[in-house]
Amino acid sequence: MLTMFKELDPLLHSQLRLAVISLLMSLEEADFVFLREKTGATAGNLSVQLEKLSEAGYIEVAKSFLGKRPRTTCRITAQGQKAFEEYIEAIKGYIG
Amino acid sequence: MEEKILSEKESLELISKMISETKNKLERGGGNIFLLWGYLGVCVSLIVYGLLNFTENYAVQWLWFLIPVIGYPAMFFMKGKSHTGSVTFIGSVISKIWIVIGVCTILVSISILYDYTLLPILFIMSLLVTAGVTMSGLVLKFKPAAVAGFIGIVLSFVLLLVSWKSQILVFAAMSAIMLIIPGHILNSAFRKQQKNANNV
Repeated sequence: MLTMFKELDPLLHSQLRLAVISLLMSLEEADFVFLREKTGATAGNLSVQLEKLSEAGYIEVAKSFLGKRPRTTCRITAQGQKAFEEYIEAIKGYIG
Repeated sequence: MEEKILSEKESLELISKMISETKNKLERGGGNIFLLWGYLGVCVSLIVYGLLNFTENYAVQWLWFLIPVIGYPAMFFMKGKSHTGSVTFIGSVISKIWIVIGVCTILVSISILYDYTLLPILFIMSLLVTAGVTMSGLVLKFKPAAVAGFIGIVLSFVLLLVSWKSQILVFAAMSAIMLIIPGHILNSAFRKQQKNANNV
């Protein structure tokens, strides 16, 4: 029997972007430094990937100040949550 | 971590690893906010009680305002210092509970400026704060705070039964039971967690 595999969202099927979305799925919000520490990514690479996720509408990025320091805060959007859930469903098809 | 394309198995492992990074862990100094309000409550209560007995001057009751005047700036300072870079859903719920309680306590404080006989102020303040401690304890699944909060709710009603001078002492005792004890237990639990993590 031929099994139909759903196509995996190319935006999420990449190590760093998937790590960021997985972290944000479990949090209300996280800042850039937290995401960099948890993913172990370089600041430059993380910035690029956050920009891609933001352009796709998967996350919201807000810039503010914490004292005198600039702070970039990210939170997942409803669209990002839906994309993540669909990604999990699709991946289940490959594994299960 | 690079922009690497993953196998399906690697994807699931990565998701699982990232989610475990955000599990609710105790934070360093998590009990300090409890300790701040608790010690402030006890100290101000005892100062007011002592001065009232010593001077018989009811104007010393204005010293109650030392609690918000010292407490709020100190709390914001401590929160800024202990910033972790992320907000969990539980952390967000607890913040919102305390914002609502904070607004209520400020409004009650303002109402006594208009007429100090209008409300049983210590009873209302105690009930609000103990309800907040109980909800925080339940949401955090931190039993000492939930139990202390419930004891505090019951003790709040004792305030309605005793003389107004005794109310001050009951309020001091409540601050110790519902804030200082859970605060120390929370900080000690964090130290234990750190010790266990270092031994692994």
